[in-house]
Amino acid sequence: MSRIELDAVTKQYPDGTTAVRALDLAVSDGELLVLVGPSGCGKTTALRMIAGLEDITSGTISIDGRPVNDVEPRHRDIAMVFQSYALYPHLSVYDNMAFSLKYRKTGKSEIKKRVAEAARILELEPYLERKPRQLSGGQRQRVAMGRAIVRQPRAFLMDEPLSNLDAKLRVQMRAEIAQLQRGLGTTTIYVTHDQTEAMTLGTRVAVISGGVLQQVAPPGELYRRPANLFVASFIGSPAMNLIDARFERSDGGPVVTFGEHRLAVPQSVLAAHPALDRHLGGEIVLGIRPEHLYDPALGRPADPESVISLAIRLREELGSEVHAHAAIGRAAHVDQATADDVHSLATLVARMDPRTEIAEGQTAAVAVDTAELHFFDKESGASLRG
Amino acid sequence: MAAPSLTPERRAATRQGPGRWSPRRLRRKTGTWGLFALMLLVAVVMLYPFWYIIDNAFRSGTQFDRQSGHSLGGWRELFANLPVAGQMLNSTLVCVAAIAIILLVSTTSGFAFAKLRYRGSGIVFLLVVSALMVPLQSIIIPEYINLAKLNLTSSYLGAILVYAALGTPFATFLMATYYRGISDELIEAAIIDGLGYERTFVQIALPLSLPAIATITVLQFIQIWDDLLVGLLFLPPGQRTITAGLATLSAGRTTSIPALMAGSLISAVPAIVVYLIFQRHLVKGLTLGMGK
Repeated sequence: MSRIELDAVTKQYPDGTTAVRALDLAVSDGELLVLVGPSGCGKTTALRMIAGLEDITSGTISIDGRPVNDVEPRHRDIAMVFQSYALYPHLSVYDNMAFSLKYRKTGKSEIKKRVAEAARILELEPYLERKPRQLSGGQRQRVAMGRAIVRQPRAFLMDEPLSNLDAKLRVQMRAEIAQLQRGLGTTTIYVTHDQTEAMTLGTRVAVISGGVLQQVAPPGELYRRPANLFVASFIGSPAMNLIDARFERSDGGPVVTFGEHRLAVPQSVLAAHPALDRHLGGEIVLGIRPEHLYDPALGRPADPESVISLAIRLREELGSEVHAHAAIGRAAHVDQATADDVHSLATLVARMDPRTEIAEGQTAAVAVDTAELHFFDKESGASLRG
Repeated sequence: MAAPSLTPERRAATRQGPGRWSPRRLRRKTGTWGLFALMLLVAVVMLYPFWYIIDNAFRSGTQFDRQSGHSLGGWRELFANLPVAGQMLNSTLVCVAAIAIILLVSTTSGFAFAKLRYRGSGIVFLLVVSALMVPLQSIIIPEYINLAKLNLTSSYLGAILVYAALGTPFATFLMATYYRGISDELIEAAIIDGLGYERTFVQIALPLSLPAIATITVLQFIQIWDDLLVGLLFLPPGQRTITAGLATLSAGRTTSIPALMAGSLISAVPAIVVYLIFQRHLVKGLTLGMGK
């Protein structure tokens, strides 16, 4: 059990590329912190720096209050599960799990006991004599976990351990890892690019983009109160609809307008977004989660001020829900480089009840749950929530 | 609606029907036979010298001239003129020592080139590999002068060092390529598991590189065992290898072909044995890095 702290940790490569920029992070004892972000965002580099496999350009990494910047990986007492599992192909499952204990001068009977216990937990008992090549992907993944468990380390570091598994097995193993981590109570840092994995596994989730920490929060908060446009667009599937809009005051009170659409902003939302006032009469980015767009014809009452008329381009049937894609005036940019493309493909996605009769080619009345609107600064991308 | 199916009779008729000798099938069959004929021809060309050696090793001088009759005359002559057992031992000693040096240097340096990050490693690797392009003949005289000055031409050591120096660049190249194929994560896993780079090399990298080690062993064994030039130049008469010894058989005014054939046969045996033992690994090792 241990506490891991990163204080202004930066990694810059000799060619000038900055992989991680001034990363501040504190992982408490027994916590499972997930680092999530798109490919190349620096999350694996951060994990490798904690493991000691990458040098730190500046900043401090501490384990249990002790700086480990110059401590060799083998003396940090952490275990790592790699994306490729990195099992020793010439050793049996038993020897793979016992490997590190042998080099740490653990007694033979203790090694046997720990491996047997790990094998029991991970249901690997029948395979102890097999070589890794004789195992399935899921079994290999378990051996990699077992190799980490037997060490009884201060922390587990996991680098996309499920990305080589098929979708079904990934869901199963995800649940197993969560249970195992809770059972053992070992501090864990888990890296993934899959936001579903991040949300389901993490006690807290740290979203990283371009080497910079965007937000760290429990999954629910990350979803409900994204700190900026990147987090808003990255977390959630389908992604949050982000629309260039204007915040204005009309006779009936504050409204947000985009294209020909106009939505009344309730007092409760204004109260939650004190910074919004400063943008009165100016441009902002409006965020609407797909599930906060619904079909008013299905019985849920809607304020006429919060109903907009949308031209439905596409209806996707998913069984448990329907995704309706509609054309709107302008979508907001998240990435400057692709801003023009986003503008030309301005589409709004609504996640609706499967009973909805909204059809492709139709212009439908769609209600917006205005109590759940998100507002972001157009320039900085920061949330306007207080 | 039921799917159409063939009755057993109809299926049999289809098998024996006109499709059996269709032009496409005929072309394919002709192609196969043509390939077999070509392979047979190549096999004859390759195996004829072996047959020639075996056939003529069991003749005396007169039987060889007449090309009829067999005897052990050639063998008697060989053993009378050449210390075969001693020279075979010399060959073995030189081979084993040179290969041991080559393996020691190539495995450790190959691992360092492939897995350790240090300034200038790319240039050093390039320099080592560029040594592959230097032909032995172009450096043999300065090499001899150097070793003579160091008084290393009167023992096995000179020849062993020359063979090791000649074999190491290729072996290093092969080992580095092999180690690059081993995932970095595997090495890192061992480092995190508590091993230093030295023990990671011994415990993880070395056992995994057995096919490459076998390849180097076979290739170098054949090359060193069969080499004549270095053996003749760098070894004193009493410590000559079998190949250098056989060359002395034809150094006189007349050459006994049957004795030479018998000597060649006996000299070829160890190389063939080593090849047969390691051939599986050899093929695997030579095709390394071609794909996943």
